[in-house]
Amino acid sequence: MKLLFTFLALLTSVLAIVFSVLPISNLAIFPALAALFFSIVAFYLSKKAGRVKKIIPFTIILTAMALSITAYKWAFTKTEVINTKSFEIKEDKLEKEAIKELEGIDIEIDETDLETIEFGD
Amino acid sequence: MKRITFLYLFLISGVLIAQNNAVGFKEKLVYTASYNMSGVLTDLAEVTMQTNTVKTSRATLLRLKCTAFTYSKWDSFFKIRDLYETYVSPNTLKPYLHNREINEGGYFKNMKYTFSHKTKTVKAIQTKKNNWVENETIAIGADTKDIISTLYTLRTFDLSNLKSGISKTFTVLFDRKEAKVRVTYLGKETIETALGNKVCYKITMGAANSNAINGTLWLTADANKIPVYGKFKIPVGNGELKIKSASGLKN
Repeated sequence: MKLLFTFLALLTSVLAIVFSVLPISNLAIFPALAALFFSIVAFYLSKKAGRVKKIIPFTIILTAMALSITAYKWAFTKTEVINTKSFEIKEDKLEKEAIKELEGIDIEIDETDLETIEFGD
Repeated sequence: MKRITFLYLFLISGVLIAQNNAVGFKEKLVYTASYNMSGVLTDLAEVTMQTNTVKTSRATLLRLKCTAFTYSKWDSFFKIRDLYETYVSPNTLKPYLHNREINEGGYFKNMKYTFSHKTKTVKAIQTKKNNWVENETIAIGADTKDIISTLYTLRTFDLSNLKSGISKTFTVLFDRKEAKVRVTYLGKETIETALGNKVCYKITMGAANSNAINGTLWLTADANKIPVYGKFKIPVGNGELKIKSASGLKN
């Protein structure tokens, strides 16, 4: 049982660290909370048995690091779009090409175009 | 004479309902697309829906443009640079030309539809990576539209007196295939948005041949009927679309 909780604590704390460095850092909260729970249970069981392995405090440190990275990213990372200049140039080019193409299309916009549309089949 | 005048006015008002009284010609709607897992939201991309007029020697058309860009934190993992644009009649939003240029995590695809409403056909040109070009002429129905003009067309309906549960089926041309999409009106709901508390028309969307709901959209219950909030299903969890700002509205 003690071994199982230690293994789960290690697994979830590593997962929390991986999540915290990815763009989905706010999802790191789930494995971090699980890691804390497993670490505490593993610590309690180990203490009861008389010997606490070094791996348990290590998982707690890993979890604390994951939570710190997540908190830092949540507070200081700006949610913004960058590098769209080349796309804007492409958009303008596409619009010019579309206008050229539309010149060759038979477009009829007159009053008869105003069809009656109602919601409902 | 009076009766004839009233009858004329009644007929005219009937026609006016069908006109585009909702979509502005310099409109810009900005959204945040997020991924929702167990209540934790992760912002993925910025979606912009923009309109502007385009003049040709024969007509003035409305350009409906929709772009999706991933936020910078995602760019090195999965970069999205998508553009969807449709050139439509400003009155009926009938499409004439549709362009779709997608770049999703290194996957490129360009699709161009040229609509011929007289012959009820669409000339489709698909270009993939390494300039792999495929041409196809597709026969379409009288009401078939592309995805962008269909989304904007939703806003032209008068939803104010509808009973909840009423559905309408749209035919959408996507990936060179016609698909029937059922849109169902679910009634009014007040929701909190970045533009303040808004009374909205709630509508759901799904394939016409199944009862599954693929997305739910909240349109403001005013003359503009702008989409302020959307929820859609993705393989793991839910996606959300929240409005950030709106400018250049018609009303």
